[in-house]
Amino acid sequence: MKLTISHDTTYRYDDQVRASIQYLRLTPQESERQHVLDWHLDLPCPARAQRDPYGNILHVLNVDEPHDSLLISAHGSVEIDESREAEHDQQSPLPFLRFTRLTQADEALRQFALHHCGARRDRNALIELMFGLGEAMPFTPGITTVDTTAAEAFAKRGGVCQDHSHAFLACARSLQVPARYVSGYLFSEDAGHLASHAWVEAWLDGAWYSFDVTNGLSRPERHLKLAVGLDYLDACPVRGMRRGGGGEQMHARVLVNQPVMTLQAQQQ
Amino acid sequence: MLSRTAAELYWMSRYLERAENLARMLDVSYSLSLMPQDGQGTGLDELTMPLLITGNMDDYLARHGELDAERLLHFFAFDGDNPGSIFSCLRAARSNAHVVRGRITADMWENINATWLEMRDIAQQGLQSYGISAFCEWVKQRSHLFRGAAFGTSLRNDAFRFIRLGTYIERADNTLRLLDSRYELLGDAAESIGDGSARGYYQWNALLRALSVFEAFTEIYRGSPDKRQVAELLILREDVPRSLRACLGEINQILASLPGVNGRPAQRMVASLEARLRYTGIEEILDEGLHVWLSDFILLVRRLANAIQSSYLEAA
Amino acid sequence: MARILYDEMYDASGAVRPHYREFARWLANTPPEQLAQRRREADLLFHRAGITFTVYGDDQGTERLIPFDTIPRSIPASEWRVVERGCIQRVKALNMFLADLYHGQRIIKAGIIPAEQVLANEGYQMAMQGLDLHRNLYAHIAGVDLVRDGDGSYYVLEDNLRTPSGVSYMLEDRKMMMRLFPELFAAQRIAPIDHYPSLLLSTLKSSSPVDDPSVVVLTPGHFNSAYFEHAFLAREMGVELVEGADLFVRDEKVFMRTTAGPQQVDVIYRRLDDAFLDPLAFNPDSMLGVPGLLSAYRAGNVVLANAIGTGVADDKSVYPFVPDMIRFYLDEEPILKNVPTWQCRKADELSHVLAHLPELVVKETQGSGGYGMLVGPAASKAEIETFRDRLKANPAAYIAQPTLSLSTCPTFVEQGIAPRHIDLRPFVLSGKETRLVPGGLTRVALREGSLVVNSSQGGGTKDTWVVED
Repeated sequence: MKLTISHDTTYRYDDQVRASIQYLRLTPQESERQHVLDWHLDLPCPARAQRDPYGNILHVLNVDEPHDSLLISAHGSVEIDESREAEHDQQSPLPFLRFTRLTQADEALRQFALHHCGARRDRNALIELMFGLGEAMPFTPGITTVDTTAAEAFAKRGGVCQDHSHAFLACARSLQVPARYVSGYLFSEDAGHLASHAWVEAWLDGAWYSFDVTNGLSRPERHLKLAVGLDYLDACPVRGMRRGGGGEQMHARVLVNQPVMTLQAQQQ
Repeated sequence: MLSRTAAELYWMSRYLERAENLARMLDVSYSLSLMPQDGQGTGLDELTMPLLITGNMDDYLARHGELDAERLLHFFAFDGDNPGSIFSCLRAARSNAHVVRGRITADMWENINATWLEMRDIAQQGLQSYGISAFCEWVKQRSHLFRGAAFGTSLRNDAFRFIRLGTYIERADNTLRLLDSRYELLGDAAESIGDGSARGYYQWNALLRALSVFEAFTEIYRGSPDKRQVAELLILREDVPRSLRACLGEINQILASLPGVNGRPAQRMVASLEARLRYTGIEEILDEGLHVWLSDFILLVRRLANAIQSSYLEAA
Repeated sequence: MARILYDEMYDASGAVRPHYREFARWLANTPPEQLAQRRREADLLFHRAGITFTVYGDDQGTERLIPFDTIPRSIPASEWRVVERGCIQRVKALNMFLADLYHGQRIIKAGIIPAEQVLANEGYQMAMQGLDLHRNLYAHIAGVDLVRDGDGSYYVLEDNLRTPSGVSYMLEDRKMMMRLFPELFAAQRIAPIDHYPSLLLSTLKSSSPVDDPSVVVLTPGHFNSAYFEHAFLAREMGVELVEGADLFVRDEKVFMRTTAGPQQVDVIYRRLDDAFLDPLAFNPDSMLGVPGLLSAYRAGNVVLANAIGTGVADDKSVYPFVPDMIRFYLDEEPILKNVPTWQCRKADELSHVLAHLPELVVKETQGSGGYGMLVGPAASKAEIETFRDRLKANPAAYIAQPTLSLSTCPTFVEQGIAPRHIDLRPFVLSGKETRLVPGGLTRVALREGSLVVNSSQGGGTKDTWVVED
């Protein structure tokens, strides 16, 4: 399946920003599953690309002129091989056993993971865990923020894809299964779900398998991967700092193939 | 030099100079408030003066509601929650100095640290028991002592230059405000002074004493102060160390001696301001209207301070 | 249990050891009033020079002194040369381990250290995977903590490869001793240490491929407890002391903001933990770091000393493997001994530890500063039971070691002179070559019987002499 993406993010600031710097993870990579046909970023000034610690393509954008808004655009098309379920990797998956502040498993999450998986550490067990979390945490925008931890969201019995992913990571790692956060785009016919998306990958039988808790999907057929990391903070599409500027409003517009969708906050 | 270091040094001396100026303001207001008030009132007008000059009146009213002599004095001098109090300025100066302790001489650091420690003790005693005039005198003396230590022990390097820069920016602003506010307070009476009106005499005298230029005035003008002479003295006289002209002259020299090209906007600005004062007579200023002229210049000095801030103190 | 204590000054028969004879003679001939007077002078001078330990959040113009003891810790030169070779060997192996771990991982493939032990370790940084560093150096500055057991042999208690501190006290203690007691330095040959800052600067410069690189010291700020040391080292080396806000990243290069405009920085001697270095890559709430620093680092445009990710090698759970690292990378036998260590993550070792808690020292694997530890022989029954629960709840977070007796050194205390326990932290610098100045920082536990020497726990310091014998 060929996916065509157009993703504009606009920041508006209350005051002049004197200078800003952003880490952008907005460029997909070639892999067994995805073939990048064309891709480009439209940025207010040229940015260099490098590999980040997780192997993602990272652009570092410096804006040194005073500005009161910032427009970051990514466009392109990618061919997804729907028949591929898993991806292989040369690097050891073991660093993805580590908890982070956002993915720390508390007793409730540990028990939840054990309840669903018992002694099993296979794909079926994790699929059950995925459905279990989806039921335990129905998609509920507005009750969590980008800062909410897995344990907090789980206790609130709800959240969005970021929270679902963090909760899954906490559970998988508590079972000693390496798992990582994935940020990317999802093509969805029903406009109820946003096109910028997050899901997870877990290491099973020597390869990374996808689990999309929010949509209850274990086959990444409509998922275009941008970046991976230990949690949201490592993989999120835009992470920046600025000098001055006061408050900010962020507006993102993502088009995946045909549907037009609008989101108001960084959170998905 | 690191911009942050320069900023700490600059603000350290600005806060210290500000504390001294606040003490000078308080001193004159307090002594005038004790004078017969032309039949009307309590001298509260005088005591609110320093708050009006520093723009802290709203804060005071929000906190205390009504005007009360003792609260006014405490708010202005000792209140640690009022960022504009003498207490807060000395605390801020000490905290700036602490950060750049390695960049100032031990004599300077010990002076500023001891000043802060004594300030805390005096605040414990209370203003009334220490004495208001004695307190103002103490603040001035501590400031003199610091300046002496700076002049007597500091290497003549960029650190010294930024310390001096802070002093003169703060002082220029203060001289302008003090003159403007006295002039405002006198109102129409200011115009008719010279005829020996008692009120005008005390007002101008108090201002001259507050700025430690009473002796200078009598030596230069040999007579009772009037508006024209006081304004000339405080704005245009190059030889009066607290005059606007003297301050801008120093700033001009200091900026010219700092390395780098990023300070050009500030350098241009101060050179043109100084030239303007050099080639202006007091009549032109009075023709334009003293208050209008002073307000205009207060703004220009603030712009200069902003240019210094962005060129040197937060460079890039 | 009767312990055999090793005293640095007196042998078992109570006779003065040869390398202390000169000092003992001087001590016997100096009137006590004069000694007391000099000690007061030392306090005053330390206060005046501001050689202090900032109490967090202090706004009161008061700071605490780290107690300084005027009786030196003395080491015969022949003995020192062994310690020196041992430290160099150890730090070389640790640097090779880090280079290997972040590249080919030979040591894991050889089965010497379990992959999970290091790769899932919190100190392991993905950011370092495959990144080539100039000279393959990670821990440019290392502190090796040594203690002596009852028989006088040296043991490595732990390695400090992140941001080891204390070197300023080593230097200031020496200055103070030379000032107070110049006659002692005239009477015998004591190896000089005051060239440490220049060695440090040349080490830092040699860590960069740039000719004559620009070096800065990065501090978390004056609220940090070690701020004095940061300022001290910057001043002694003649380089800028910067905070995160003084630096910025543009085009993958690091610049500092100066009154004369931006100035590029090539080497950052950072005294800031990994998690705070770059708020865009690590802890997002940190205002102490430099946004974009990691991108400049990974692009090879700036050197961090120490490198990111050295914490994996000084973690207490990795410590037991260091002797094997020395054998694996250098093909040498370790010169300095490790303290025998039980790893509580292993079930059989845990049960041994639980059965012997009153005799053991139990430490957290991810902790420092002596807070998260149990000193069995010094703990009450209740403390031991509380710790037992913590240990059982999370055994992987702890290791245990036998209680070493720690050597003692005569020390001035309220009642006069009495033996107190000490340790030794030599500072190992790795650049073009690996070297150290003779001696190090001697810390002393001032409370009678105490084995905890950390300054945060009321420890003091002594000047450390290497005396030609």
